[in-house]
Amino acid sequence: MAKSLGIFVTNPDNFQHVMGVTKAAKAKGSTVKVFFTWTATHNAKKESDFPALCNLADDVSICVDSYKKMGYDISDVPEGLDEKKMATQAQHGIIIEDFDCYISF
Amino acid sequence: MEYKKVCFMYRSNDYAVDGIRSALGLAVENMYAYGVVMDQEMDKLDEHNLESIEMLRDMEGEIYSTIPANVEKNSFESMTIEELGEKLRDMSIVVPYGLK
Amino acid sequence: MKVLNVYRSEPDETVKKLVEIVTRDRESDSFDLAVDSPDYDALVDKIFDADQTICWW
Repeated sequence: MAKSLGIFVTNPDNFQHVMGVTKAAKAKGSTVKVFFTWTATHNAKKESDFPALCNLADDVSICVDSYKKMGYDISDVPEGLDEKKMATQAQHGIIIEDFDCYISF
Repeated sequence: MEYKKVCFMYRSNDYAVDGIRSALGLAVENMYAYGVVMDQEMDKLDEHNLESIEMLRDMEGEIYSTIPANVEKNSFESMTIEELGEKLRDMSIVVPYGLK
Repeated sequence: MKVLNVYRSEPDETVKKLVEIVTRDRESDSFDLAVDSPDYDALVDKIFDADQTICWW
């Protein structure tokens, strides 16, 4: 069985890597969880493939506090997410504790 | 149970404060969380951020800097690049945070 | 302990120094992401094969 993979995203310019790694890992049967924080939360609104990432990965969430600090209204939930996925840094903790492999971008 | 050890490295002022918040976020999840401010001199942190660092220290985390001015201004612990490398060897997770 | 070092840009002297210390007396591998079309399939294989992945700036 493929190992599970957690991806922590802090760089707003690395969305293509997040997508590329997620696609490749899913093709191998992996479970993939992605969490975006700080300026990388811009990806949720500005990357046209963000909803596709949410469909592809098993779990995608963003730091709601960062999203707010980037100037977005927290009631404006990005396409692909729901309110429960507007989350906290605890999601990063889950990635570290519960997933076999880890990469940050 | 073995607690995870995580070290964040910040090379840009725009990411250091939020990165420290990310470290605190893991400390409250029962991990040893450390941050290292590299390359750039930071402004003096405000009361709120200094309190966050105190909370991190209460949970056995720490913020270090390789820049002496940051150590003086924000009471970070001093660390050389060589010492950082040795610390990274002991980490479960290493996070080069944000942009360079 | 096998460490995978992933580079998103050309490593500078600081990164080189840190990698040298982190990988000392350890098995290690590397992957260059700073290319036009990275082979993500190969990258994921390497991530799964490593005990720790560090994705440098």
